[in-house]
Amino acid sequence: MIPIHALALALALVPAGRREDEPQRRWTIYADEIHTSTGRTLANGMVFVNNGKISLVSTGREESPERELLKVRAVTAGLVDASVRIDAELQSVEQSSEISPSVRVADSLDPFSIEWDRQVRSGVTTVLANPLDLDVVGGLGVVLKTAGPESIEARTVRADAVLRGAMGSQPSYGNHPAFGRPTDFFSRRPTTRMGVEWEWRKAFYDAAASRKDSERAYPGSDLVLRALDGDLTIAIQAWTTQDIRTAVFLKEEVERELGGHPRVLLDAAAEAWKEPDLLVRSKVGVVLPPFPSNGRTGEGSFMAWNVARMLHDRGVPIALSSHGSANPEDRLPLQAGYAMRGGLDFESALEAVTISPARMLGVEDRVGTVEVGKDADLVLWNGPPFEPGSRIVGVLVDGVLKVDPREQAE
Amino acid sequence: MMITILALSAAASPLATHRAILAPESRLLAIRAEQVVLPDGGAPARGVILIEDGRIAAVGPDVEVPEGAILVEHRGTASAGLVALHSYSGSPSEMFDSTRSVLPEARVSLAFDPANPDFADALRAGITSIVLTPIPASLCGGTSALVKTSGGVVVRGEAQLSLGFSSLALRNNRFPTSFGGAVAELDRLFEEPEGVFARAAKREIPVLLEASSREDVARAIAFAQRHELTGAISGAAWAGELAEKIHSAELSVVCGPWRIGEERRDLLAVLALEKAGVPFGFAIDAPANHPLMLRAGAAMCLREGLGRATAWRALTSDAARIAGAEDRIGSLSKGLDADIVLWSGDPLDLGSTPQAVYVDGKLAWKDKP
Repeated sequence: MIPIHALALALALVPAGRREDEPQRRWTIYADEIHTSTGRTLANGMVFVNNGKISLVSTGREESPERELLKVRAVTAGLVDASVRIDAELQSVEQSSEISPSVRVADSLDPFSIEWDRQVRSGVTTVLANPLDLDVVGGLGVVLKTAGPESIEARTVRADAVLRGAMGSQPSYGNHPAFGRPTDFFSRRPTTRMGVEWEWRKAFYDAAASRKDSERAYPGSDLVLRALDGDLTIAIQAWTTQDIRTAVFLKEEVERELGGHPRVLLDAAAEAWKEPDLLVRSKVGVVLPPFPSNGRTGEGSFMAWNVARMLHDRGVPIALSSHGSANPEDRLPLQAGYAMRGGLDFESALEAVTISPARMLGVEDRVGTVEVGKDADLVLWNGPPFEPGSRIVGVLVDGVLKVDPREQAE
Repeated sequence: MMITILALSAAASPLATHRAILAPESRLLAIRAEQVVLPDGGAPARGVILIEDGRIAAVGPDVEVPEGAILVEHRGTASAGLVALHSYSGSPSEMFDSTRSVLPEARVSLAFDPANPDFADALRAGITSIVLTPIPASLCGGTSALVKTSGGVVVRGEAQLSLGFSSLALRNNRFPTSFGGAVAELDRLFEEPEGVFARAAKREIPVLLEASSREDVARAIAFAQRHELTGAISGAAWAGELAEKIHSAELSVVCGPWRIGEERRDLLAVLALEKAGVPFGFAIDAPANHPLMLRAGAAMCLREGLGRATAWRALTSDAARIAGAEDRIGSLSKGLDADIVLWSGDPLDLGSTPQAVYVDGKLAWKDKP
């Protein structure tokens, strides 16, 4: 262990603005506009940050010698991306079984990846990390901060936050019938959408049956039971109309036949706009993939600029996401702008990248709004948020200044 | 091989160098050297090492040579034999079973050929003990073995339980294909009530945590802490950059193997281990690397600023502790195996060469017979 005085000395020697290990620093942030994600915008407001938490959100000005002052045009909550993959390659998904509920993506994340810092600089402070969708049920996603100690455990906001899986063609990609070639474990997996759906159904029915007949249990069936009971959110990748319908019908079938009441998020639901009534009826949340420039996106699905607005107008809870893309324009600040270009109002676009995904992931008590008591995850802007002419000039994660507005060129 | 035995009294033969080739174990052997590297880490001083029945009976500047003992007079430095960690000497192709990802009962101690020339190479480099390890391409490739480089002696038949935390342990055509699957399976295995995993969970066998990148190291540390394991991290050049975490998990590190022209960052990571107080030793991964690289690697670390005492411990006593055999090897201490190297000069100086090597009190190799 490092003695406390040595630590203090080390911190004193680090230049200002680079003191990463000092969440106890106190900040006062003056902003022309504070967008709180609660429906309230404060003009000429201030935010106090103490011990990594927001301690005051108010209008007015109040300087104090104990606090360092930052002045910016606008403040929003740290952005929340409900679908990312931090350097999660093939090693993030257990392909030896198509149903792998107990595999944790947290075990495959690289705490030293440069991608974390890129997320922070894009204003994204909380993410749900998922395994690749090469399994039908790929395992447990984790909600974590994009900055902090170089340790996945220390950054975790919610471990085992969702049970991740997929409909569609991706889980069966690369599978083949066993005929005519040596068998490997790709010979016995589903090769069609029907096969994928059957694996889902079997996972639920076997898990439910295991309550009375322990022989029906399988590795991780306890997690599927928790999902069936609504204790564990299920995040299902479903790009196309038929996959979205399949996911909703499956949810309704297990409610009807197995007495379950699962909480379901549809991830990458690009064509959710085609069946909004179905989504409203079955109360599923939708995580949208990045807007494609030509309308076409994953698995041949179609997604226009006004999709977010159409879903929002019909009352479907929406979150925008990067869907794991490392492309800067697929990250949340521009995605919110694209949603606005498609007709979504600013307040709803802000919610779709802050409190809405936070609620979907069950972390709304910690992040997602600018309110007293929440984690001091804040994005500081030099103009109206999400506008093409505005830039992120400052980012705080848990009260630590990761991007310093005083160091940014005008 | 012609072996000459000269029984000489201490008084009668002050000038005999290493004419005494093989001392029968029942007899006393004394080595008097101008410098003896003592375990307390102080400056080497003239002294005598007394050997009886293959073990060190006494060592120090004031040890008297008993009447009737065979005396070897050495005009140079005498030290404990070097201990190399992590090697595939003596049969590399037999140290990996690709048919199963978990094979805890596999023992490398049953795979090596003690007559393989790899061991003679090691002996000539002053190495008297080597930890032979399974190739880290399995989730659990079996147990490593601590062996002497002469005589085929197995000191520890189940020295460490090898666990794969790097992507080398994953395959795209068998379980596990993912880190999550690998960790889940290891978590399950360490809950088993009996067997090698249960013994490792009770700290009866140390684990060898095979890693490559820093994220592997972070995962291995978390796993070892979760199951309260003891052992060493191996294969990760930058493990030292996580030295504080390794220290708080009370783990050790196997550094190297080294090559000439090693990246400076790799060497600085070793210095970070020293600073954090993490014990470490050096890998050789023979036969792909020559055993001479053990001492050369230590010299490269010295050049970057590693303390001489630390470097020496890494070559001997700390390596012995990592191999779980500090009660047998690693220093010139009373009661330990008489594994002794007679050097032309300071063994940390690459200009020095071994002139004779004793293993278990027997002369196993000498220069210019």
